Amino acid sequence: MSSPFTPVVFYKDPMAALRWLEKAFGFETSLLVTDDDGNVGHAEMSFGEGRVGIGGEWGAADRIGPARMRSPASLDGQGTQFIRIELASGLDAHCARAEAAGARITQRPEDQFYGARVYRALDPEGHVWNFDQAIAQVSNADMEAASGLKIATALPGD
Amino acid sequence: MNVPPICPLIFYRDARAGLDFLERAFGFETRMVVDDGKGGVIHSETVFDGMVVMVAGPPPENYASPAELGGRATASICVQVKSGVDALCERARAAGAVIVREPSDQAYGDRTFGCHDPEGHAWFFGQEIKQMSADEMAKATGRKITAGLEG
Repeated sequence: MSSPFTPVVFYKDPMAALRWLEKAFGFETSLLVTDDDGNVGHAEMSFGEGRVGIGGEWGAADRIGPARMRSPASLDGQGTQFIRIELASGLDAHCARAEAAGARITQRPEDQFYGARVYRALDPEGHVWNFDQAIAQVSNADMEAASGLKIATALPGD
Repeated sequence: MNVPPICPLIFYRDARAGLDFLERAFGFETRMVVDDGKGGVIHSETVFDGMVVMVAGPPPENYASPAELGGRATASICVQVKSGVDALCERARAAGAVIVREPSDQAYGDRTFGCHDPEGHAWFFGQEIKQMSADEMAKATGRKITAGLEG
């Protein structure tokens, strides 16, 4: 089933980001919209059934609204999201490929209590990419027991 | 209900308020909230049209809510709906969303609106009104549109 969501992440140099994401993670550019000067207006990448959008930073006055889209590279490395990506297999090899392409691995591949093997990488502009591969089906009760965390299935009052 | 293969996790100062807003404004349904033991949320999943986005907060180190960055954000979320984009905009407005682009027909064949949630995350909703090829979109928008990188 295709998702209604496309997260869009923003870069100072979106063309370089497209090339890097292809090389490091194996994403494929599926749509590239450029203006007469070759600047990226909007781009979409696919990875399996998943989609992610790539955009350039928004200028001060030429775009709508006060939510000015920035690269983490313009915000002292801070980001307002991370992107989680599900791999069917080959997580460790995927990490090795990303690292060889210059990804900064902030969390090495490791099995997590919630039933996934996970690694986490920063791209050259500081966006966080969280790759995971399912290794076990874990119930909420088992996750609570393993982590000591409290898990609810709705907001209170729903 | 599935977690899409590429799924954003977005950070709020107040994740529970964020989840509540997503329910009221857009019709999301929260299906999982993992308490961090200090009143915050280290992970949650909320569902729209059978698919999940994840919400957490307060943000850990190296992350922030747009509300902590003067409204700046490093991501937006585009949501494709099958119908009712105008009604959804009114619902969002009534729930307190700041509409930054009123519903309007776009040259690339979608009717879209854009809004900010109370912490400044940007959401864009689109409904296809005309199916168009990349060539037709290029002609209509005056942009160059290709299906891949060159070279």
